[in-house]
Amino acid sequence: VTTLLICLPLAAALILWVLPLNPVSAGSLALLAALAEIGVWVQLVARYDFARGGLQFSDRHTWFKDLNVSYHVGVYGFSVWLIGLTVVVMAAAIAYAFWAGRERARAYMGLMLFLTGAIVGVFSAQDLLLFYAFFEAMLIPLYVLVGVWGGPGRMGATLKFVLSTMAGSLLMLASIVVYGLSQHTFDLVQLGPSSSQWVFLGFVAAFAIKAPLFPFHGWLPDAYRESSPEVAAVLSGVVSKAAAYGFLRIAVAKFPQPAHDFRVPILALSAIGLIYGSLLAFRAPDLRGVIAYSSLAQMGLITMGVFAVNDLGLDGSVLQMVNHGLVSATLFLLAGMVERRALTGELGRLGGMARGRPALATMLLTTGVIAIAVPLSSAFAGEFLILAGVFQRGWGWSVAGAVAIVLAAMYVLRVVSAVLHREVGPAVSDSALDLRPAELGVTVPLIACLLALSVWPAGITQHSFRGDHGAADVAAQFR
Amino acid sequence: MVWGAWICLLSPLAAALLITLGGRRLSRRAAGYLATSACFVAFAGAVAAFVGLLGRDASQRQVVSTAWTWITGGSYQSGLQVLIDPLSVFMMLIVSGVGALIVWYSIGYMDGDAEERRYFAYMSLFVFSMLLLVQGGNLLLLLAGWGMVGLSSYLLIGFWQERPSAIAAAKKAFVMNAIGDATMALALFLLIQQGNSLEFGILGGQFSSTVANLVALGLLGGAVAKSAQIPLHTWLPDAMEGPTPVSALIHAATMVTAGVYLIVRTHAIFEQAPKIADLAAGLGALTLLVAGLIALVQVDIKRVIAYSTMSQIGYMFLGAGIGSYPNAMFHLMTHAFFKALLFMAAGIVIHALVNEQDIRKMGGLRQLAPRTYWGFLVGSLALVGIFPFAGFFSKDSILAAAMDHGTYGYVLWAAGLIGTFLTGLYTFRLLFIVFWGEPSAFVREHFHPLGRDTVAVALAVPVGVLTVLSIVGGWIQFSPWWHPVETWLQTVAEPVVSPASWQEWLSIALSLLLGLSGIAVAWLVYGVRRVAVPRLAFAQRTLEHKFYFDEAYDALFYAPAVFLAKFLRRGVEQPLIADSGRDLGDDTRDLGGIVARAQTGLLRTYALAIASSVAVLAIVFVAVK
Repeated sequence: VTTLLICLPLAAALILWVLPLNPVSAGSLALLAALAEIGVWVQLVARYDFARGGLQFSDRHTWFKDLNVSYHVGVYGFSVWLIGLTVVVMAAAIAYAFWAGRERARAYMGLMLFLTGAIVGVFSAQDLLLFYAFFEAMLIPLYVLVGVWGGPGRMGATLKFVLSTMAGSLLMLASIVVYGLSQHTFDLVQLGPSSSQWVFLGFVAAFAIKAPLFPFHGWLPDAYRESSPEVAAVLSGVVSKAAAYGFLRIAVAKFPQPAHDFRVPILALSAIGLIYGSLLAFRAPDLRGVIAYSSLAQMGLITMGVFAVNDLGLDGSVLQMVNHGLVSATLFLLAGMVERRALTGELGRLGGMARGRPALATMLLTTGVIAIAVPLSSAFAGEFLILAGVFQRGWGWSVAGAVAIVLAAMYVLRVVSAVLHREVGPAVSDSALDLRPAELGVTVPLIACLLALSVWPAGITQHSFRGDHGAADVAAQFR
Repeated sequence: MVWGAWICLLSPLAAALLITLGGRRLSRRAAGYLATSACFVAFAGAVAAFVGLLGRDASQRQVVSTAWTWITGGSYQSGLQVLIDPLSVFMMLIVSGVGALIVWYSIGYMDGDAEERRYFAYMSLFVFSMLLLVQGGNLLLLLAGWGMVGLSSYLLIGFWQERPSAIAAAKKAFVMNAIGDATMALALFLLIQQGNSLEFGILGGQFSSTVANLVALGLLGGAVAKSAQIPLHTWLPDAMEGPTPVSALIHAATMVTAGVYLIVRTHAIFEQAPKIADLAAGLGALTLLVAGLIALVQVDIKRVIAYSTMSQIGYMFLGAGIGSYPNAMFHLMTHAFFKALLFMAAGIVIHALVNEQDIRKMGGLRQLAPRTYWGFLVGSLALVGIFPFAGFFSKDSILAAAMDHGTYGYVLWAAGLIGTFLTGLYTFRLLFIVFWGEPSAFVREHFHPLGRDTVAVALAVPVGVLTVLSIVGGWIQFSPWWHPVETWLQTVAEPVVSPASWQEWLSIALSLLLGLSGIAVAWLVYGVRRVAVPRLAFAQRTLEHKFYFDEAYDALFYAPAVFLAKFLRRGVEQPLIADSGRDLGDDTRDLGGIVARAQTGLLRTYALAIASSVAVLAIVFVAVK
């Protein structure tokens, strides 16, 4: 099943590129493939034995026998949820792109599907080289999607994005080679723990840039601003999670000692990013800027949860990865819908959009409220667990988190009222319509997922790691 | 009993969802009736739970019903559960009962507003959140309700969303409450670390004094923010930007008193942290004085009542802080009656005067709206605590209890007595200015009396019911003689102070005397105008600026946050981080140009190169295998 999850979108992408389809049928085919992918995933969830946990649905074929490199994929409890996040967000993004009518639909849709396959690959690869290949394969479609279909400043944005990410990737590649050769295997399940700080730092560098963590986020504002809304949704919603996954699956699980030694600096960077991102989001002049910096803040929070390395922190960060993925994807799509109507995302020129547009107002308000982590929302559950977990590593970290909660209230409410409330802004014309059925069709399922998670966050937290007390002993989880 | 509690909790939520999903298919009036009937159903559920508890032995009156496990983190877990015990049922009755009356009143008050449906959806959401707060079976759900009432309060204060002042007030309320939420969350983190659980029972465990103090302090932070006590009180007067029924329900009768409920519910930890409990009582005493003073100079009818709410919650904090839990809860109940009454009577005045709230333009309304006047009068007498109105029974017993709390208790007692004088003064200042004298020019021009339609009925009947409750609501307990409320709440929160009989009677006598003298002074100055209003420029200016709290917070917190954000943006983000990326890009491009002149420099070439090399690698892998 895991291989099917990876190959289905890749195959669909290939068909799109090869067959001369018209834009409508290309879009429909892509959407169909994305929905089929969700279907496969649902089946995966239904068949995964959460009580047993551990690696399931694994598939292994040796490649380089003497180096012990293999095609090895499989899923753990928590990767099930990350893959679920991926397929849902990608389907929404493809549906939105289809509706918005991107030029050269075949190429565009093919790239989106290719990206889906690559991300699912990252979340299920159990071989370091394979992981690296998928990790890099994510970059190719993104690179083209931002560079070709982006806004006016797309070239600068792409260059910055690609160069910073590649710098990180090279360090990771070096680490992978050293680590794999020293242990005579590249298989993630068989690799034993290492105490090498340099190898650890190589991995951390790659993930810190990808996430991004402060101060490696130079590429983030431009990339999120210049790309089309659905690509921004995917970048912040899903691609950033690949980094958080890497922190969890490799940096923490394989390097217990270095992760312990470097805990304070990494937590500090995360906490700084959390507050710094929140403050910048509070002053950002445009819609996407606010969401972009809030993403920076949230990735800081998630990283804090991972590096707390205890039950609460890990369960919380897995939950929060899914939450933030859904929230920020929805927010970016909504931002795109607002920009489509007003032709600008500048907060100063928006306003008063709630009047006469109840659907838009309801969607934006609901998502915003979940983004603030109002208690009883799934985001609250995630943040609460993360901060409760990191509290046990020092109360100061949680205080920083609590400050950020207040700041989050300030920036989200600022956006909500700048878009929806007050006088009607100069860029908002009376003829701007409420959300169309197709747009609702994209956002409602995402919000429904969030509400379902709010009703039962334990659905994820109980079903991510094996047993009750397992998550603290991280390495033991992956045998 | 258990099903009664669940119906009580869920029926307002169902109404909120139905109104939201129904959209325009539901008429505006239907939305109003749906919300109202949902609240009455909730009240019926609360009554069922109450009757169920009554039938049990006093020691058996605690039932927890868990729907499912809501959240887990390793071995820590919290369920989605409701707690049915005397305290929660007491609150359920108040919240759903007063809530139903106020939502009904809203049908009249909001009649003709373009977005009635949204209003009733928010109101139902609020009632659900408040019930979740009081019924939540563990601290996490209590915090959940706590945040949800904050959210619905934000939505309702900012209901008239095209008014910048309303939006600003709503944001202020939310952010100040978020500060309280954050300190509460920190307290809960500490509890999880200590006991790996958030059940209420854990609070009774043994903690070191540092831990107990910190947990109590964190909880107190939340209580102070929610209940608008000094120093987190400045949002409440601004919250009067919301529609008047909202002020009556959220900012008088229920949500703002949640802090008192919190202290009573978590009293076990406050008893282990006596210093923090004293701090709570002290903040209450300070607030009741400061708010009483500010109320003397306010000219907006709703703001006067808002300050009086702060002041009355100050009494409740005082009572809860010294450990007189049943009296604090009793005052919470009577206050819900008479304060809702005052707001709703004021709402009728505002409605009749086409949304005018400035009392300087009012006057002589006694002749034009006699029934409203009588309702307002009853509410005012109950507020000042005159025999036999509701406030008399509840306020005096708090003061008496303070006398049993050592020297510090006497200080609090004195503050409370001074507060009684102030209450008489500001309450009747308002009453005399608005209702006595000759009708002002503004009133004569704009006043339009209520008709006899559904609007008038919806406005008048709840006010009538609350008028009756403000008279008889206090009779269920008279501390020198009988204590049904105390007995009812005993199993949950046993009071730690028990004043002697002479202390009870002394407090009653003094507070009656002071309350009456406050009324008398108001009568001299504003009623018959025999004495001119004294002119004290400095004092007046300080009071009109509300002791400069807003200005201080702006300078201390808001301005630095904005400055810091701007500095980070201009000084760190743009030069160091955004440009470093650009320099990196430029340098690499230059380097690339030198090293590889053959390259076209086109991005898609790079893409092609990467893609093809991956493909080649893949082929090599397959071939080697």
